[in-house]
Amino acid sequence: MIPLKDPNLLSKRIHSTLSAIIIFAIWESSFHIFDMKWYLLPPPSMIFDSMINNAYLLFTSLATTLRIAITALILSVFISFSLAIIFYLSRFIERSIMPITVTLQVTPIIAIAPLISIWVNSSELATLVCAFLVAFFPLLANTMSGLKSTEKNHLELVQLYGANKYQILRYVVVPSALPFFLSGLKVSSGLALIGAVVGEFVIGPISGHSGLAYRIIESGYQLDIPKMFASVFLISISGILLFNFIKLISFLVLRKWHSSFQQID
Amino acid sequence: MALRLLTDKDRKKNIDDNNLNLIAQLSSISKKFKSSKTVSLKNINLEIYQGDFISILGPSGCGKTSILKIMCGLLRPSSGKINWPTSNFQNSPENPANLSFVFQEPNLLPWINVYENIKLPLKVLGENNYKADEKIYDIINLVGLKGFESYYPRQLSGGMSMRVSIARALVTQPKVLLMDEPFSALDETRRYGIAQEILKIKKEKKLTVIYVTHSIYESVFLSNRIYVMQANPGKIFEEFDFSNQVKPKDYRFTSQFIEQTKIVSDSLERSQLVK
Repeated sequence: MIPLKDPNLLSKRIHSTLSAIIIFAIWESSFHIFDMKWYLLPPPSMIFDSMINNAYLLFTSLATTLRIAITALILSVFISFSLAIIFYLSRFIERSIMPITVTLQVTPIIAIAPLISIWVNSSELATLVCAFLVAFFPLLANTMSGLKSTEKNHLELVQLYGANKYQILRYVVVPSALPFFLSGLKVSSGLALIGAVVGEFVIGPISGHSGLAYRIIESGYQLDIPKMFASVFLISISGILLFNFIKLISFLVLRKWHSSFQQID
Repeated sequence: MALRLLTDKDRKKNIDDNNLNLIAQLSSISKKFKSSKTVSLKNINLEIYQGDFISILGPSGCGKTSILKIMCGLLRPSSGKINWPTSNFQNSPENPANLSFVFQEPNLLPWINVYENIKLPLKVLGENNYKADEKIYDIINLVGLKGFESYYPRQLSGGMSMRVSIARALVTQPKVLLMDEPFSALDETRRYGIAQEILKIKKEKKLTVIYVTHSIYESVFLSNRIYVMQANPGKIFEEFDFSNQVKPKDYRFTSQFIEQTKIVSDSLERSQLVK
């Protein structure tokens, strides 16, 4: 029997943590050795201090940005999945709607964002629409190619017993599209965060409590470079966490059967 | 004992004497795929009687698999028709799976375990869980998969996967089993082992089997009737009926087996020469 967990997981974790520590150590020491200007490249310790000093402000902003990114991601999961199923069932609808989604995808979000902010009154909602538009397409495209790449033999197996369209989808087509869907989700999780930040940059501070993008702009005005770095750090760290969370989900869902988690002894 | 093939007359007598039921009759079935220029099946006539083990033997690309797929409704013939005189051999909830298909590859769904794979046909046919459970465990015992219910397909060896595939085909209690080169991925010993199990199950479940292969030995070992096909266009070249032969113990090593193998093998060679 093939073991279902990764024996190298711990050593992988140690590797990545170690390399991060080394990079930070080099950064910190070269700041002191070469006497660099803190307002050009602040050392990690200063960034960390700034993060502590502005903790309330930064973390509430992070919460806003994350709220938008995660809502956008959840929305794109549901909408792209349903659309992919509808497209799968009807070539006609696919041909008529797919060009619209492609157009939305290839037009830079920065170009559309001002329009959205004109149409949508609430700045939070407008940012959400931006994040959604960015995150949605990879999920749709991946899920659709997943639905279409079902093995012919698997289809014939259920057709043999007179399966109806719903049964074919449920027992064969959707499960075989799952790995594609999950890899689309990995890409989209990062894009949702990017969309949430870019959206706020263009549309402006979110009413109530502004997100991290506005903190970056604000620190730029105030020439508070450590705070700017602290904001950027928070965005990247939450992006990494989000990505790893999706990775964990796909591991849990696929580990028992999918070849990407197969062990080579 | 000299080997004597059955003539048409003998065959008719045999059918009448043993009161055999005609299960399926394929009359002048032809198939031409839209994508190809050549005709893949031309004027196929086949009669299948209850309890038959029919082998369809021929070179690759002669349309053997197409015959099976036409029989179970996965392919539509371009012309000709199939009669099922004793039953409506359509798989539907009202008339659950009289017909099952064992694919060339095990063709298991990788995302569900052995138990769920075997259960799949019942789920599609809408059997209730209580009745399904009993049937599944019966079949699991029959093919020797006890203890492997929760394994996933990728954890199984080739032979085990094939057993699951056979179990899945049998779980609907079919009357006719269509097999498409089911053992091509197995090594010699495993093939023989599973072939014997198939014979045992056939006897136990009173199955009628139609078996597509390009192994002469397998076809002679397993079947009472053999159809040799030729390619381009795919049609039946010769038919052999060994129904009157009693297969002794260790049949594989008898002169009778070798004699029959030679006859079939000669026919196969001749079939490749005709244009």
